[in-house]
Amino acid sequence: MSALPSRPLRRVVITSVSTVAGGLLLLSLKPHSTAGAAPLTTAPAPTATSSGPAGSSGAATAPPTGGGSTSGTRTVDGDAVQTRYGPVQLRVTVTGGRLTAVTAVQLPQSNPRDEEISSFAVPQLTQEVLAAQSARVDTVSGATYTSEGYLRSLQSALDKAGG
Amino acid sequence: MTVTTPPRPAAARHSAAARPGRRSPAAAVLALCWAGAAAVVALWWKDTGPVVGPAGWLIGGGRIAGLLTGYSCALLIGLMARIPALEAGVGSDRVARWHAMAGRYTICLLTAHAVLILWGYAVQAHTPVVGESWTVATTYPDMLKGTVGGLLLLTVGVLSVRAVRRRIGYETWYHLHLLTYLAVFLAFWHQLALGADLRGGGAGRAYWYGLYGSAAAAVLWFRLLVPLRTNLRHGLRVRAVVQEAPGVVSVVIGGRRLPELAARPGQFLRWRFLTPGLWWTSSPYSLSAAPRPDLLRITVKAVGGHSAALARLAPGTRIWAEGPYGALTADRRTRQKVLLLAGGVGVTPLRALFEALPARPGDLTLIYRARSAADLALRGELESIAHARGARLHLAVNSPDGRRPRLSVEGLRAALPDIAQHDVYVCGPPGLLRESYEALRAAGVPAGRIHHESFEL
Repeated sequence: MSALPSRPLRRVVITSVSTVAGGLLLLSLKPHSTAGAAPLTTAPAPTATSSGPAGSSGAATAPPTGGGSTSGTRTVDGDAVQTRYGPVQLRVTVTGGRLTAVTAVQLPQSNPRDEEISSFAVPQLTQEVLAAQSARVDTVSGATYTSEGYLRSLQSALDKAGG
Repeated sequence: MTVTTPPRPAAARHSAAARPGRRSPAAAVLALCWAGAAAVVALWWKDTGPVVGPAGWLIGGGRIAGLLTGYSCALLIGLMARIPALEAGVGSDRVARWHAMAGRYTICLLTAHAVLILWGYAVQAHTPVVGESWTVATTYPDMLKGTVGGLLLLTVGVLSVRAVRRRIGYETWYHLHLLTYLAVFLAFWHQLALGADLRGGGAGRAYWYGLYGSAAAAVLWFRLLVPLRTNLRHGLRVRAVVQEAPGVVSVVIGGRRLPELAARPGQFLRWRFLTPGLWWTSSPYSLSAAPRPDLLRITVKAVGGHSAALARLAPGTRIWAEGPYGALTADRRTRQKVLLLAGGVGVTPLRALFEALPARPGDLTLIYRARSAADLALRGELESIAHARGARLHLAVNSPDGRRPRLSVEGLRAALPDIAQHDVYVCGPPGLLRESYEALRAAGVPAGRIHHESFEL
């Protein structure tokens, strides 16, 4: 049979300290940047230029190859932006220099609440940015983090599309 | 109560002593508990991506702590479910100590979980921790319940600290402790709603359902249905109350079909006497004699209001009993020779073993220590048993100036020159237990052959 009960406090301290050490070890073994884990943007570097209202920052940039067509349709993936609830990554479609579609590649979905938030915030944001033709719209209340991620990913996609 | 061992045929009784004692499943149970915790951590590892920035570390740590808290809550409940393999195999006292140990650990984990998660969220959102905590508690799904559950668990934890528990008294502590079930129930839902590893139909969710399902089923079965069946079947009632020594009474209990109860010498039951003032409290008392086909007996010393009230029990009083529990039985024995070491009213389970342990004349010794000759409860019947079985009985009382006879290596060796060849059963107050444990080890008795039951947490 076991030895006599002894020093419960010391034992619980030892176990707790071991747990802390183990937790830190596990956390330190995980990668510490999203670079490797976030899906890389697969869109090729833009060769054609687009200008006009779609490229909020690209508008000022001189086209690298002159006389590009503005009527082509291009699809560009934005950055995967980390939010509290998970990564947000968007794919934008630019047709004839106009932002015509925004679809989600990744949205926070680590729990039912995240999905709920995405389900009301994302359609609303998409509607607003399509109307405004830019990422300069207000965040959706109650979905601040998802909105911020959405708009930052959108901006990065527009930057790329704008060249 | 399920029957754990069939009664051995009488012919096999003497050879039984030579058989090695049944191995305690304690090591296997502990290994299983730790393996379960490792599986929880593996679940986190599988589901977790990069850990980025201070918030990532804080939230990561908080999630590990949270998963382990959820796991250990289920374990805490399972350990106290009175599962026969644990009660009679590992020993009720040891399981209770595991539960206490795991409880303290759970409180640490729970605190770490709440602090790290809230801190991590606040860092990530660039908001103050207090406001963030309020948001999480009030707006996150099932977090209002989760917060109440967590606070209840912390309260129960604080009430269980030795100093506090002593102050509030056993009964209050015990009944408040039952709030743990409510706390764990309330906290369960936020784990499913928010636990990143438990959502959806994945392995995590299945594991959690299995874990909590088993714990709930064990409680329902072993703490509610089995006692219900026991009491309906046996209809226990007080038959007589006998004064044994100053402040020590024996309660003789009658009932139907008692052999089916399968209570064994050395075991105890939790007794609830259904009479005004006593019905709301359930106390563990050892059987102080080997069970008879229609009678059980306990012997109790008045140390509190409850045990004192037993002296006034009227014959015919109905009893609700749970058990039998306890591992201080003949199963522990590995040797031919046995020493029983009793202090005060701790003699009760050893009295039953003294009567029932299979032994040849000369193989069985009882050392019984008490404050004074008057306090040597059950002395007469111990002497009769010793005489009838050819067993040795040593009685020791304090000297007139109040000094206790010390249990020394020399004293033990003088009484039993081959003490190292004995199995030793010890039962008594914590002081005696510690003193005799040290003396026995020094006299060459291996720790594995010192059998004791101590409900000191």
